[in-house]
Amino acid sequence: MAEIFTRFDSNNDVVSNLRQTVSSGMWSGGTGTLTTFHTSSVQSGSTGRYFYEVYKDDPASDTTAEVQFSVAYGHFDGSGSYGQTNNFPSKAIYRQFRNILLTPGDNRFTFAGTGDNTNPKDAYFISMQRARLREKMDPGNWELRISGSGKTTVKLIDDSGATTNPSVNVGGRVFNVVSGSIATGTAVTKTTAAAQQGGAYGLFYPDLGIIVLNGPTTSVSASINRASGSAGTTDPSNALDLVEGIKRGAYFVSRREENLNTTHYFCRATNQKFNYTNNPTFFTASDGTLTVSSFDSDPHTYITTVGLYNDNNELLAVAKLSTPIQKSFSREAIVKVKLDY
Amino acid sequence: MGYLDNTTTTVDAILTKKGRELLARGGDEFKITKFALGDDEVDYSLWDVTHPNGTNSYGSAIENLPMLEAFPDENQILRYKLVTLPKGTTKMPILQVAVPSTGFTFSSSGQKASVAPNTQNGSDSQLGYSVILHNSDAADLTVSQGGEVITGGATTPVFLSDAERKKSLSVIGKTFQLVARRTTVKIVTQITIIGNETGAVTTIPITVNANA
Repeated sequence: MAEIFTRFDSNNDVVSNLRQTVSSGMWSGGTGTLTTFHTSSVQSGSTGRYFYEVYKDDPASDTTAEVQFSVAYGHFDGSGSYGQTNNFPSKAIYRQFRNILLTPGDNRFTFAGTGDNTNPKDAYFISMQRARLREKMDPGNWELRISGSGKTTVKLIDDSGATTNPSVNVGGRVFNVVSGSIATGTAVTKTTAAAQQGGAYGLFYPDLGIIVLNGPTTSVSASINRASGSAGTTDPSNALDLVEGIKRGAYFVSRREENLNTTHYFCRATNQKFNYTNNPTFFTASDGTLTVSSFDSDPHTYITTVGLYNDNNELLAVAKLSTPIQKSFSREAIVKVKLDY
Repeated sequence: MGYLDNTTTTVDAILTKKGRELLARGGDEFKITKFALGDDEVDYSLWDVTHPNGTNSYGSAIENLPMLEAFPDENQILRYKLVTLPKGTTKMPILQVAVPSTGFTFSSSGQKASVAPNTQNGSDSQLGYSVILHNSDAADLTVSQGGEVITGGATTPVFLSDAERKKSLSVIGKTFQLVARRTTVKIVTQITIIGNETGAVTTIPITVNANA
Protein backbone atom coordinates (compact mmCIF):
# COMPACT_ATOMS: atom_id res chain seq x y z
CA MET A 1 0.00 0.00 0.00
CA ALA A 2 1.25 3.45 -0.85
CA GLU A 3 1.67 5.85 2.05
CA ILE A 4 2.49 9.52 2.45
CA PHE A 5 1.74 9.89 6.18
CA THR A 6 3.38 7.91 8.97
CA ARG A 7 1.73 7.78 12.36
CA PHE A 8 3.80 8.45 15.44
CA ASP A 9 4.13 5.73 18.03
CA SER A 10 3.33 7.85 21.06
CA ASN A 11 5.45 5.65 23.33
CA ASN A 12 8.59 5.66 21.23
CA ASP A 13 8.44 8.63 18.91
CA VAL A 14 7.10 11.47 21.03
CA VAL A 15 8.71 13.02 24.10
CA SER A 16 6.22 15.61 25.22
CA ASN A 17 6.09 18.62 27.51
CA LEU A 18 9.72 18.88 28.45
CA ARG A 19 10.10 22.07 30.46
CA GLN A 20 13.26 23.99 29.66
CA THR A 21 14.60 27.20 31.12
CA VAL A 22 16.23 29.29 28.43
CA SER A 23 18.22 32.45 29.10
CA SER A 24 19.42 34.99 26.57
CA GLY A 25 20.64 38.54 26.34
CA MET A 26 17.98 41.04 27.33
CA TRP A 27 18.48 43.72 24.72
CA SER A 28 17.52 44.00 21.06
CA GLY A 29 19.09 41.34 18.92
CA GLY A 30 19.61 39.12 21.95
CA THR A 31 22.70 41.01 23.07
CA GLY A 32 23.44 41.07 26.76
CA THR A 33 25.35 44.33 26.97
CA LEU A 34 24.00 47.79 26.35
CA THR A 35 26.53 50.60 26.09
CA THR A 36 24.65 53.23 24.12
CA PHE A 37 21.49 54.90 25.37
CA HIS A 38 19.16 57.30 23.58
CA THR A 39 15.88 59.01 24.31
CA SER A 40 13.22 60.18 21.90
CA SER A 41 12.25 63.85 21.70
CA VAL A 42 8.85 62.74 20.43
CA GLN A 43 8.18 60.55 23.46
CA SER A 44 9.68 62.91 26.03
CA GLY A 45 7.70 65.79 24.53
CA SER A 46 4.41 63.99 25.10
CA THR A 47 4.82 61.79 28.18
CA GLY A 48 8.23 62.85 29.46
CA ARG A 49 6.78 64.32 32.61
CA TYR A 50 5.97 60.77 33.63
CA PHE A 51 8.70 58.60 32.16
CA TYR A 52 11.48 58.37 29.61
CA GLU A 53 11.86 55.52 27.17
CA VAL A 54 15.45 54.50 26.57
CA TYR A 55 16.61 53.16 23.19
CA LYS A 56 19.71 51.32 22.13
CA ASP A 57 19.83 53.21 18.82
CA ASP A 58 18.92 56.82 18.21
CA PRO A 59 15.23 56.89 17.19
CA ALA A 60 15.80 60.24 15.47
CA SER A 61 18.04 58.64 12.87
CA ASP A 62 17.00 54.98 13.05
CA THR A 63 13.33 54.28 12.50
CA THR A 64 13.80 50.67 13.61
CA ALA A 65 15.17 51.66 17.03
CA GLU A 66 13.48 49.69 19.78
CA VAL A 67 12.73 50.69 23.35
CA GLN A 68 14.90 48.78 25.81
CA PHE A 69 13.58 50.06 29.13
CA SER A 70 11.91 53.07 30.65
CA VAL A 71 12.88 55.26 33.58
CA ALA A 72 10.40 57.08 35.83
CA TYR A 73 10.72 59.13 38.98
CA GLY A 74 8.15 58.94 41.75
CA HIS A 75 7.60 60.86 44.93
CA PHE A 76 5.05 60.04 47.60
CA ASP A 77 3.86 63.65 47.87
CA GLY A 78 4.45 64.72 44.28
CA SER A 79 7.66 66.61 44.83
CA GLY A 80 10.04 66.79 41.89
CA SER A 81 7.36 67.54 39.31
CA TYR A 82 5.03 70.41 38.64
CA GLY A 83 1.26 70.31 38.29
CA GLN A 84 -2.01 70.90 40.08
CA THR A 85 -2.46 69.70 43.61
CA ASN A 86 -3.00 65.94 43.60
CA ASN A 87 -2.11 65.88 39.92
CA PHE A 88 1.64 65.65 40.15
CA PRO A 89 3.18 63.15 37.73
CA SER A 90 5.74 62.03 40.33
CA LYS A 91 2.94 61.34 42.80
CA ALA A 92 0.99 59.33 40.25
CA ILE A 93 4.09 57.36 39.33
CA TYR A 94 4.97 56.57 42.94
CA ARG A 95 1.48 55.35 43.70
CA GLN A 96 1.30 53.37 40.48
CA PHE A 97 4.35 51.33 41.41
CA ARG A 98 3.31 51.16 45.04
CA ASN A 99 0.05 49.54 44.00
CA ILE A 100 1.84 47.05 41.78
CA LEU A 101 4.74 46.13 44.04
CA LEU A 102 3.70 46.62 47.67
CA THR A 103 1.10 44.86 49.73
CA PRO A 104 -2.09 46.82 50.47
CA GLY A 105 -1.55 49.16 53.41
CA ASP A 106 2.17 49.44 52.78
CA ASN A 107 2.43 53.06 51.73
CA ARG A 108 6.11 53.49 50.99
CA PHE A 109 9.00 51.43 49.77
CA THR A 110 11.28 50.29 52.57
CA PHE A 111 14.91 49.58 51.80
CA ALA A 112 17.46 47.67 53.84
CA GLY A 113 20.49 49.32 55.41
CA THR A 114 20.93 51.93 58.08
CA GLY A 115 20.46 55.66 58.26
CA ASP A 116 17.87 58.20 57.24
CA ASN A 117 16.88 56.84 53.88
CA THR A 118 15.61 53.32 54.50
CA ASN A 119 12.08 54.59 54.07
CA PRO A 120 12.39 57.58 51.74
CA LYS A 121 9.55 59.32 49.99
CA ASP A 122 10.96 59.06 46.50
CA ALA A 123 12.40 56.45 44.16
CA TYR A 124 13.44 55.84 40.59
CA PHE A 125 11.71 53.06 38.68
CA ILE A 126 13.39 51.21 35.82
CA SER A 127 10.99 48.98 33.88
CA MET A 128 12.17 46.59 31.21
CA GLN A 129 10.26 46.75 27.95
CA ARG A 130 7.89 43.82 27.55
CA ALA A 131 9.42 42.49 24.34
CA ARG A 132 12.89 42.61 25.89
CA LEU A 133 11.80 40.97 29.14
CA ARG A 134 9.65 38.21 27.63
CA GLU A 135 9.10 36.34 30.90
CA LYS A 136 11.48 37.57 33.60
CA MET A 137 14.91 38.99 34.30
CA ASP A 138 17.59 36.57 35.29
CA PRO A 139 18.52 37.27 38.94
CA GLY A 140 22.24 37.59 39.53
CA ASN A 141 22.92 38.36 35.90
CA TRP A 142 22.54 42.10 35.54
CA GLU A 143 24.73 45.09 36.28
CA LEU A 144 23.85 48.75 35.83
CA ARG A 145 26.39 51.54 36.05
CA ILE A 146 25.33 55.09 36.82
CA SER A 147 27.76 57.93 36.57
CA GLY A 148 26.90 61.41 37.76
CA SER A 149 28.26 64.79 36.93
CA GLY A 150 31.01 64.30 39.50
CA LYS A 151 32.28 61.32 37.50
CA THR A 152 31.43 59.03 40.37
CA THR A 153 30.36 55.69 38.95
CA VAL A 154 28.05 53.49 40.96
CA LYS A 155 27.89 49.85 39.94
CA LEU A 156 24.68 48.12 40.90
CA ILE A 157 23.76 44.43 40.96
CA ASP A 158 21.28 42.34 42.94
CA ASP A 159 22.07 40.18 45.95
CA SER A 160 20.34 37.02 44.70
CA GLY A 161 23.63 35.12 44.88
CA ALA A 162 23.73 35.63 48.61
CA THR A 163 20.06 34.87 49.14
CA THR A 164 18.66 31.38 48.97
CA ASN A 165 15.21 32.33 50.12
CA PRO A 166 14.14 35.68 48.70
CA SER A 167 11.14 37.40 50.14
CA VAL A 168 8.04 37.10 48.00
CA ASN A 169 5.27 39.66 48.06
CA VAL A 170 2.71 41.12 45.68
CA GLY A 171 5.39 41.82 43.07
CA GLY A 172 6.78 38.30 43.24
CA ARG A 173 10.35 37.61 44.30
CA VAL A 174 12.25 40.59 45.69
CA PHE A 175 16.01 41.00 45.99
CA ASN A 176 18.03 43.94 47.23
CA VAL A 177 19.97 46.12 44.85
CA VAL A 178 23.54 46.41 46.11
CA SER A 179 26.80 47.93 44.97
CA GLY A 180 28.99 45.42 43.19
CA SER A 181 29.82 43.96 39.82
CA ILE A 182 29.40 40.81 37.75
CA ALA A 183 32.10 41.80 35.28
CA THR A 184 34.37 38.96 36.44
CA GLY A 185 31.69 36.36 35.73
CA THR A 186 30.49 36.01 39.28
CA ALA A 187 28.70 38.50 41.47
CA VAL A 188 31.13 40.44 43.66
CA THR A 189 29.27 42.51 46.21
CA LYS A 190 31.07 45.62 47.41
CA THR A 191 28.66 46.54 50.17
CA THR A 192 25.76 44.42 51.30
CA ALA A 193 22.30 45.92 51.52
CA ALA A 194 22.26 45.67 55.31
CA ALA A 195 25.58 47.46 55.61
CA GLN A 196 24.75 50.26 53.18
CA GLN A 197 24.97 53.58 54.94
CA GLY A 198 21.97 55.86 54.34
CA GLY A 199 19.78 53.01 53.11
CA ALA A 200 20.24 50.32 50.47
CA TYR A 201 20.29 51.15 46.81
CA GLY A 202 17.00 49.58 45.95
CA LEU A 203 14.82 46.59 45.29
CA PHE A 204 14.77 44.23 42.31
CA TYR A 205 11.65 42.42 41.11
CA PRO A 206 12.87 39.86 38.53
CA ASP A 207 9.45 38.46 37.71
CA LEU A 208 8.19 41.90 36.72
CA GLY A 209 11.42 43.26 35.28
CA ILE A 210 11.39 46.27 37.57
CA ILE A 211 14.28 47.83 39.45
CA VAL A 212 13.34 50.32 42.17
CA LEU A 213 16.20 52.63 43.12
CA ASN A 214 16.26 54.47 46.41
CA GLY A 215 15.96 58.15 45.44
CA PRO A 216 18.25 59.81 47.99
CA THR A 217 20.87 57.06 48.13
CA THR A 218 21.19 56.73 44.37
CA SER A 219 21.29 60.45 43.62
CA VAL A 220 23.83 61.18 46.35
CA SER A 221 26.10 58.21 45.65
CA ALA A 222 26.17 58.76 41.90
CA SER A 223 26.01 62.55 42.01
CA ILE A 224 22.73 62.64 40.11
CA ASN A 225 20.79 65.88 40.26
CA ARG A 226 17.47 65.34 42.05
CA ALA A 227 15.21 68.36 42.24
CA SER A 228 12.51 68.75 44.83
CA GLY A 229 9.48 70.98 45.06
CA SER A 230 6.54 71.33 42.72
CA ALA A 231 6.38 75.00 41.86
CA GLY A 232 6.88 76.58 38.46
CA THR A 233 6.00 75.38 35.01
CA THR A 234 9.19 73.61 33.97
CA ASP A 235 9.44 69.96 34.87
CA PRO A 236 12.54 69.18 36.94
CA SER A 237 13.05 66.00 34.89
CA ASN A 238 14.48 63.87 37.65
CA ALA A 239 13.90 60.79 35.49
CA LEU A 240 15.89 62.36 32.66
CA ASP A 241 18.72 63.13 35.07
CA LEU A 242 18.94 59.44 35.93
CA VAL A 243 18.87 58.56 32.22
CA GLU A 244 21.79 60.95 31.72
CA GLY A 245 23.60 59.17 34.54
CA ILE A 246 22.96 55.83 32.88
CA LYS A 247 24.26 57.25 29.59
CA ARG A 248 27.46 58.34 31.29
CA GLY A 249 27.77 54.95 33.00
CA ALA A 250 27.43 53.39 29.53
CA TYR A 251 27.04 49.85 30.84
CA PHE A 252 23.87 47.86 31.42
CA VAL A 253 24.32 44.10 31.25
CA SER A 254 21.27 41.93 31.65
CA ARG A 255 19.86 38.53 30.82
CA ARG A 256 16.29 37.36 30.54
CA GLU A 257 14.90 33.97 31.36
CA GLU A 258 11.90 32.07 30.07
CA ASN A 259 10.45 28.63 30.47
CA LEU A 260 9.58 26.74 27.33
CA ASN A 261 7.44 23.68 26.95
CA THR A 262 9.12 21.52 24.37
CA THR A 263 7.96 18.40 22.61
CA HIS A 264 10.32 16.25 20.55
CA TYR A 265 9.00 14.20 17.65
CA PHE A 266 11.23 11.47 16.24
CA CYS A 267 10.42 11.11 12.55
CA ARG A 268 11.84 7.79 11.43
CA ALA A 269 12.32 7.18 7.73
CA THR A 270 13.24 3.51 7.68
CA ASN A 271 14.91 1.93 4.68
CA GLN A 272 11.68 0.79 3.01
CA LYS A 273 9.90 4.13 3.36
CA PHE A 274 9.85 7.46 1.54
CA ASN A 275 11.95 6.35 -1.41
CA TYR A 276 9.65 7.90 -4.02
CA THR A 277 8.19 11.35 -4.32
CA ASN A 278 5.35 13.28 -5.92
CA ASN A 279 7.81 15.99 -6.89
CA PRO A 280 6.96 16.75 -10.56
CA THR A 281 10.65 16.57 -11.55
CA PHE A 282 10.78 12.97 -10.33
CA PHE A 283 8.39 11.53 -12.93
CA THR A 284 6.66 12.29 -16.19
CA ALA A 285 3.18 13.68 -15.64
CA SER A 286 1.59 11.88 -18.58
CA ASP A 287 2.34 8.31 -17.58
CA GLY A 288 4.27 8.38 -14.29
CA THR A 289 7.54 7.14 -15.77
CA LEU A 290 10.53 8.04 -13.58
CA THR A 291 12.62 10.79 -15.17
CA VAL A 292 15.93 9.27 -14.07
CA SER A 293 16.17 5.77 -15.52
CA SER A 294 18.47 4.46 -12.78
CA PHE A 295 15.74 5.26 -10.22
CA ASP A 296 13.80 2.27 -11.60
CA SER A 297 16.04 -0.07 -9.65
CA ASP A 298 17.57 2.26 -7.08
CA PRO A 299 15.46 5.35 -6.39
CA HIS A 300 16.86 8.24 -4.38
CA THR A 301 14.87 11.02 -2.78
CA TYR A 302 15.80 13.96 -0.58
CA ILE A 303 14.19 15.09 2.64
CA THR A 304 14.10 18.86 3.01
CA THR A 305 10.93 19.42 4.99
CA VAL A 306 9.09 17.68 7.81
CA GLY A 307 5.41 18.35 8.34
CA LEU A 308 3.49 17.47 11.49
CA TYR A 309 -0.21 16.73 10.99
CA ASN A 310 -3.35 15.95 12.96
CA ASP A 311 -5.88 13.29 12.10
CA ASN A 312 -7.72 15.68 9.77
CA ASN A 313 -4.59 15.93 7.62
CA GLU A 314 -4.15 19.54 8.71
CA LEU A 315 -0.54 20.72 8.71
CA LEU A 316 0.06 22.09 12.22
CA ALA A 317 3.83 22.56 12.31
CA VAL A 318 6.64 22.45 9.84
CA ALA A 319 10.41 22.13 10.10
CA LYS A 320 13.07 22.66 7.47
CA LEU A 321 16.41 20.89 7.33
CA SER A 322 19.55 22.92 6.79
CA THR A 323 20.72 20.53 4.08
CA PRO A 324 18.81 17.89 2.13
CA ILE A 325 19.10 14.36 3.52
CA GLN A 326 19.38 11.66 0.91
CA LYS A 327 17.02 8.73 1.28
CA SER A 328 17.06 5.41 -0.55
CA PHE A 329 16.39 1.73 0.09
CA SER A 330 19.90 1.47 1.53
CA ARG A 331 19.63 4.52 3.78
CA GLU A 332 17.63 5.37 6.87
CA ALA A 333 17.15 8.74 8.51
CA ILE A 334 15.88 9.95 11.85
CA VAL A 335 14.89 13.57 12.11
CA LYS A 336 14.19 14.87 15.61
CA VAL A 337 11.75 17.74 15.37
CA LYS A 338 11.68 20.11 18.33
CA LEU A 339 8.51 22.10 18.84
CA ASP A 340 8.43 24.86 21.46
CA TYR A 341 5.23 26.36 22.78
CA MET B 1 41.41 9.06 14.09
CA GLY B 2 38.20 11.07 13.91
CA TYR B 3 34.99 10.60 15.79
CA LEU B 4 31.99 9.04 14.08
CA ASP B 5 28.97 11.24 13.87
CA ASN B 6 26.12 9.30 15.40
CA THR B 7 23.86 12.21 16.13
CA THR B 8 20.31 12.51 14.98
CA THR B 9 19.45 15.46 12.80
CA THR B 10 17.58 17.90 15.01
CA VAL B 11 15.44 20.66 13.57
CA ASP B 12 13.22 23.31 15.12
CA ALA B 13 9.62 23.38 13.98
CA ILE B 14 7.40 26.40 13.68
CA LEU B 15 3.65 26.41 13.99
CA THR B 16 1.74 27.04 10.81
CA LYS B 17 -1.13 29.52 10.73
CA LYS B 18 -3.50 26.58 11.04
CA GLY B 19 -1.46 25.24 13.96
CA ARG B 20 -1.63 28.56 15.79
CA GLU B 21 -5.36 28.77 15.12
CA LEU B 22 -6.04 25.32 16.54
CA LEU B 23 -3.66 25.81 19.48
CA ALA B 24 -5.46 29.05 20.38
CA ARG B 25 -8.83 27.36 20.05
CA GLY B 26 -7.83 24.73 22.62
CA GLY B 27 -9.41 21.30 22.84
CA ASP B 28 -8.09 18.22 21.10
CA GLU B 29 -7.78 19.65 17.62
CA PHE B 30 -4.14 20.53 18.11
CA LYS B 31 -3.03 16.94 18.39
CA ILE B 32 -0.08 15.92 16.26
CA THR B 33 -0.49 12.30 15.29
CA LYS B 34 1.52 11.80 12.11
CA PHE B 35 4.18 13.24 9.91
CA ALA B 36 4.99 13.58 6.24
CA LEU B 37 8.26 14.39 4.51
CA GLY B 38 8.60 16.82 1.65
CA ASP B 39 11.12 17.86 -0.99
CA ASP B 40 9.50 20.99 -2.41
CA GLU B 41 12.65 22.74 -3.63
CA VAL B 42 14.46 19.72 -5.05
CA ASP B 43 14.82 19.38 -8.82
CA TYR B 44 15.65 15.76 -9.57
CA SER B 45 16.90 16.66 -13.03
CA LEU B 46 20.03 17.81 -11.17
CA TRP B 47 20.78 14.13 -10.39
CA ASP B 48 23.90 13.75 -12.54
CA VAL B 49 24.83 10.18 -13.42
CA THR B 50 27.77 11.48 -15.46
CA HIS B 51 29.44 13.21 -12.53
CA PRO B 52 33.22 12.67 -12.82
CA ASN B 53 33.56 11.81 -9.12
CA GLY B 54 31.28 8.81 -9.44
CA THR B 55 28.17 7.52 -7.76
CA ASN B 56 28.65 9.26 -4.43
CA SER B 57 28.53 12.60 -6.20
CA TYR B 58 25.51 12.06 -8.42
CA GLY B 59 23.39 14.10 -6.05
CA SER B 60 25.98 16.67 -5.04
CA ALA B 61 24.18 19.52 -6.82
CA ILE B 62 21.08 18.77 -4.79
CA GLU B 63 22.92 18.15 -1.53
CA ASN B 64 24.76 21.47 -1.78
CA LEU B 65 21.55 23.38 -2.29
CA PRO B 66 20.98 26.01 0.43
CA MET B 67 17.62 25.51 2.07
CA LEU B 68 14.97 28.17 2.53
CA GLU B 69 13.49 28.68 5.95
CA ALA B 70 10.05 27.30 6.73
CA PHE B 71 6.96 29.25 5.71
CA PRO B 72 4.15 29.46 8.27
CA ASP B 73 1.53 29.26 5.51
CA GLU B 74 0.44 25.64 5.40
CA ASN B 75 -0.82 26.10 1.84
CA GLN B 76 2.58 27.06 0.48
CA ILE B 77 4.72 24.30 1.90
CA LEU B 78 4.91 20.50 1.64
CA ARG B 79 3.35 20.62 -1.79
CA TYR B 80 5.35 17.58 -2.84
CA LYS B 81 5.54 14.74 -0.38
CA LEU B 82 7.77 11.70 -0.28
CA VAL B 83 5.78 8.53 -0.69
CA THR B 84 6.33 4.94 0.30
CA LEU B 85 5.97 2.54 -2.61
CA PRO B 86 7.15 -1.04 -3.16
CA LYS B 87 10.72 -1.50 -4.34
CA GLY B 88 10.86 -1.93 -8.09
CA THR B 89 8.19 0.65 -8.79
CA THR B 90 8.92 2.09 -12.21
CA LYS B 91 5.93 4.36 -12.62
CA MET B 92 4.62 6.87 -10.11
CA PRO B 93 0.91 6.88 -9.32
CA ILE B 94 -1.00 9.50 -11.29
CA LEU B 95 -4.63 10.50 -11.09
CA GLN B 96 -6.99 10.30 -14.01
CA VAL B 97 -10.47 11.74 -14.15
CA ALA B 98 -12.82 11.38 -17.09
CA VAL B 99 -13.34 15.00 -17.97
CA PRO B 100 -13.30 17.12 -21.15
CA SER B 101 -9.96 18.70 -21.96
CA THR B 102 -11.34 22.13 -21.04
CA GLY B 103 -12.59 20.89 -17.69
CA PHE B 104 -16.14 20.97 -16.38
CA THR B 105 -18.40 23.65 -17.85
CA PHE B 106 -21.86 24.33 -16.41
CA SER B 107 -24.42 26.52 -18.11
CA SER B 108 -27.43 26.14 -15.80
CA SER B 109 -28.04 26.11 -12.08
CA GLY B 110 -28.40 22.59 -10.69
CA GLN B 111 -26.50 20.99 -13.55
CA LYS B 112 -24.53 18.02 -12.23
CA ALA B 113 -21.25 16.36 -13.03
CA SER B 114 -19.72 13.26 -11.54
CA VAL B 115 -16.09 13.24 -10.45
CA ALA B 116 -14.66 9.75 -10.25
CA PRO B 117 -10.87 9.81 -9.79
CA ASN B 118 -8.87 6.78 -10.70
CA THR B 119 -5.31 6.13 -9.62
CA GLN B 120 -3.07 4.76 -12.33
CA ASN B 121 0.10 2.84 -11.33
CA GLY B 122 -1.14 2.61 -7.74
CA SER B 123 -4.18 2.63 -5.52
CA ASP B 124 -6.00 5.03 -3.23
CA SER B 125 -8.80 2.56 -2.64
CA GLN B 126 -8.50 2.47 1.14
CA LEU B 127 -8.19 6.12 2.10
CA GLY B 128 -9.81 7.61 -0.96
CA TYR B 129 -9.24 11.13 -2.24
CA SER B 130 -9.28 14.63 -0.83
CA VAL B 131 -11.02 17.02 -3.18
CA ILE B 132 -10.76 20.78 -2.75
CA LEU B 133 -13.22 23.02 -4.54
CA HIS B 134 -11.46 26.37 -4.58
CA ASN B 135 -14.56 28.53 -4.84
CA SER B 136 -17.74 27.12 -3.37
CA ASP B 137 -19.76 30.01 -4.87
CA ALA B 138 -19.50 28.15 -8.15
CA ALA B 139 -20.87 24.79 -7.17
CA ASP B 140 -21.72 22.40 -4.39
CA LEU B 141 -19.37 19.48 -3.87
CA THR B 142 -20.69 16.33 -2.29
CA VAL B 143 -19.41 12.84 -1.71
CA SER B 144 -21.21 10.22 -3.74
CA GLN B 145 -19.41 7.24 -2.33
CA GLY B 146 -17.11 6.29 0.48
CA GLY B 147 -16.29 9.23 2.64
CA GLU B 148 -17.13 11.96 5.00
CA VAL B 149 -17.22 15.71 4.63
CA ILE B 150 -14.57 17.65 6.48
CA THR B 151 -15.94 21.11 7.05
CA GLY B 152 -12.64 22.69 8.00
CA GLY B 153 -10.75 20.98 5.27
CA ALA B 154 -7.42 19.30 5.12
CA THR B 155 -4.40 21.41 4.43
CA THR B 156 -4.46 22.35 0.79
CA PRO B 157 -1.09 21.84 -0.84
CA VAL B 158 -1.91 24.18 -3.71
CA PHE B 159 -1.77 27.92 -3.98
CA LEU B 160 -5.01 29.52 -2.85
CA SER B 161 -5.58 33.22 -2.42
CA ASP B 162 -7.05 34.45 0.86
CA ALA B 163 -10.34 35.04 -0.92
CA GLU B 164 -10.33 31.54 -2.35
CA ARG B 165 -9.41 29.99 0.97
CA LYS B 166 -12.43 31.52 2.67
CA LYS B 167 -14.67 30.00 0.01
CA SER B 168 -12.88 26.68 -0.46
CA LEU B 169 -14.48 23.42 0.48
CA SER B 170 -12.73 20.13 1.17
CA VAL B 171 -14.27 16.69 1.15
CA ILE B 172 -12.88 13.19 1.44
CA GLY B 173 -14.37 10.25 -0.39
CA LYS B 174 -14.02 8.04 -3.42
CA THR B 175 -16.46 9.51 -5.94
CA PHE B 176 -17.96 12.98 -5.89
CA GLN B 177 -20.63 15.12 -7.45
CA LEU B 178 -20.47 18.74 -8.52
CA VAL B 179 -23.73 20.67 -8.71
CA ALA B 180 -23.61 24.12 -10.31
CA ARG B 181 -24.96 26.95 -8.20
CA ARG B 182 -27.06 29.91 -9.24
CA THR B 183 -24.84 32.81 -10.22
CA THR B 184 -25.29 36.12 -12.01
CA VAL B 185 -21.68 36.22 -13.16
CA LYS B 186 -19.41 33.71 -14.80
CA ILE B 187 -17.20 31.96 -12.25
CA VAL B 188 -13.97 30.25 -13.21
CA THR B 189 -12.36 28.11 -10.55
CA GLN B 190 -10.88 24.64 -10.18
CA ILE B 191 -10.86 21.51 -8.08
CA THR B 192 -7.74 19.84 -6.81
CA ILE B 193 -7.82 16.11 -6.18
CA ILE B 194 -5.23 14.41 -3.98
CA GLY B 195 -4.81 10.69 -3.48
CA ASN B 196 -4.73 10.14 0.27
CA GLU B 197 -2.40 7.15 0.00
CA THR B 198 -0.26 7.92 -3.00
CA GLY B 199 -0.21 11.72 -2.70
CA ALA B 200 -0.83 11.98 -6.44
CA VAL B 201 -2.38 15.30 -7.41
CA THR B 202 -4.40 16.59 -10.33
CA THR B 203 -6.25 19.83 -10.95
CA ILE B 204 -9.35 20.31 -13.09
CA PRO B 205 -10.74 23.65 -14.31
CA ILE B 206 -14.40 24.46 -13.65
CA THR B 207 -16.45 27.12 -15.38
CA VAL B 208 -19.94 28.05 -14.28
CA ASN B 209 -21.56 30.46 -16.70
CA ALA B 210 -24.02 33.10 -15.56
CA ASN B 211 -27.35 31.34 -15.16
CA ALA B 212 -29.64 33.75 -13.34
